[in-house]
Amino acid sequence: MAASCVRTVGSFLGKCMTCSSTINTVATQVLLSRQVCVSSALCRKNLAAAGPEKFTLEYIQKQVEEYEIGKRHLANMMGEDPENFTQEDIDRSITYLFPSGLFEKTARPLMKHPDEIFPKQRAVQWGADGRPFHFLFYTGKQSYYSLMHDLYGKILKIEKHQDHLRAKGLFSQDAQLISLGPSRWLTKEELELLLVETISTHDYDRFIKLMEHMLVMPYSSTEEEFVQRYRRLLEAQSLKQLVPLLEKDENGMAFSTAEGRRKTSDSSVILRDCGSGHITVNGQDYLQYFPVLQDREQLMFPLQFMGVLGRFNLECKVSGGGRSSQAGALRLAISRALLSFLSEGDGEAMRQAGLLTPDPRVRERKKPGQEGARRKFTWKKR
Amino acid sequence: VLSFVCRVFLVRWSRYNPYYLEPEVSKEAYSRPATELSAEEKEQRELKTLRPIKAATSGVSSSVFDDPVISKFINMMMEHGNKVLAREIMTQTLENIKKKQVEKYHKASEGEREAIECNPYTIFHQALENCKPVVGLASIQKGGKYYQVPIPLTDNRRRFLAMKWIITECRDNKHRRTHMYEKLSQELLVAFGKEGNVMKKKYELHKMAEANRAYAHYRWW
Repeated sequence: MAASCVRTVGSFLGKCMTCSSTINTVATQVLLSRQVCVSSALCRKNLAAAGPEKFTLEYIQKQVEEYEIGKRHLANMMGEDPENFTQEDIDRSITYLFPSGLFEKTARPLMKHPDEIFPKQRAVQWGADGRPFHFLFYTGKQSYYSLMHDLYGKILKIEKHQDHLRAKGLFSQDAQLISLGPSRWLTKEELELLLVETISTHDYDRFIKLMEHMLVMPYSSTEEEFVQRYRRLLEAQSLKQLVPLLEKDENGMAFSTAEGRRKTSDSSVILRDCGSGHITVNGQDYLQYFPVLQDREQLMFPLQFMGVLGRFNLECKVSGGGRSSQAGALRLAISRALLSFLSEGDGEAMRQAGLLTPDPRVRERKKPGQEGARRKFTWKKR
Repeated sequence: VLSFVCRVFLVRWSRYNPYYLEPEVSKEAYSRPATELSAEEKEQRELKTLRPIKAATSGVSSSVFDDPVISKFINMMMEHGNKVLAREIMTQTLENIKKKQVEKYHKASEGEREAIECNPYTIFHQALENCKPVVGLASIQKGGKYYQVPIPLTDNRRRFLAMKWIITECRDNKHRRTHMYEKLSQELLVAFGKEGNVMKKKYELHKMAEANRAYAHYRWW
């Protein structure tokens, strides 16, 4: 504290020196020449206030050149063709040369193109005379506001077109609406990446509202290409399902195997396509293993849903957990095994009935300072 | 126009991402051909193909014997997670109702026989329907005082109140030596005939709501 005071006194006197140079020069010289001890707290830069690290264009270009040369060296090292060395080959070689036991995938050594590593930054926005290039530079979020400006311009254009048609008498309400496939709007993060600047949730909501407003207007199909730029396709969920293989045993009978998990239970099921409906669980009859009706209902659920109750033989193995979670694990395994015997439409129906999703609910841990996972200790006033 | 709509009811602490949709368990929903559906239902179907679906819980199945209302009642009766016992009580209740009604049926004369309902499920549903209140009361603070303001109730809330009243009435106001299934069957049969303590409670709630009608404008939602 005293040290900082000394520093400030020195600087104050230094300013005074410029205005009154002749007053007590000897004394001030003595004061100024005294060793100024400054605490390290003053020297430490405010790192957070500087913002993300800025990389110059030349630096990134240099990194790109180094990357290209490094790619060729790596190809030579691995004995492969330097010309056709793809990113997958690079990843493979890096995992081979630098094997890492770290669990966190992002902490492992990687070699990627600098464009993917360094965040996108904007080039300098103003010319040599200090005058900015973009007319909306002083708004602070020039890309966002220019986008909104363009969008509103397009809306006005569509309205003008509508007025033209109304004047001619050719206007109809439901004509030429934009047809979007199964798609979603860009998320806020994706929009930020596109615009290379940060926007707030309020800005993002306004953007989406304006887009929706434009979509609803008739004769908006002229701007379809513009709208599609801000949409991402959604793929059907059923494509992500892994269907187990349909095998044939010695007698020519088709069977399939699948596994299922629920809480701490693991199960594996072999579904055989015979005419009878025998079910064995861990060597015992299912009536003996599951005395409770609810568990047997859960076993039968996928078979009853598809209407194939008497057709299959089930050989089940289950371990761990309690009776309800074992039944749940078996149900998941049976549904998965059944997929290989059914068509795609049936598989999709099973997925929509909730039979193919593994249940993520597990026991919540007990927290310190509380009696259970949620229950707090009895609150005593004193 | 298919647009990306967030799930409105974001459940706190749900293990599922709010992007997941609820499963549809009944077989009939999937057997309807595409021509019968309205535009909304078509959109719903399209949405279902694109979004992941939650797993079905262990209490539901697609069997004909599975009734969502009865499952909800069983869960409400359950104590300390003892689903086996709660389900046992429910089955015994339904059996008991059937026995009593069949007894009544055999004792009745020819003309009265058609009026007697023997299906315990219809009796249960009708009794529950009779017990559901139409308006509820909410405690709203205005000017330092708390007023009981009549408010509309959602369907879920009405069903919950009816079930809760039936269960508490059976637990508290009956003779302690009778079994729960006996108490429940008595209560349900009486509610089916629009009499009994639960009906009285419902009518009292309605009367209170009618009496406090003047404060209805205190509700702001």
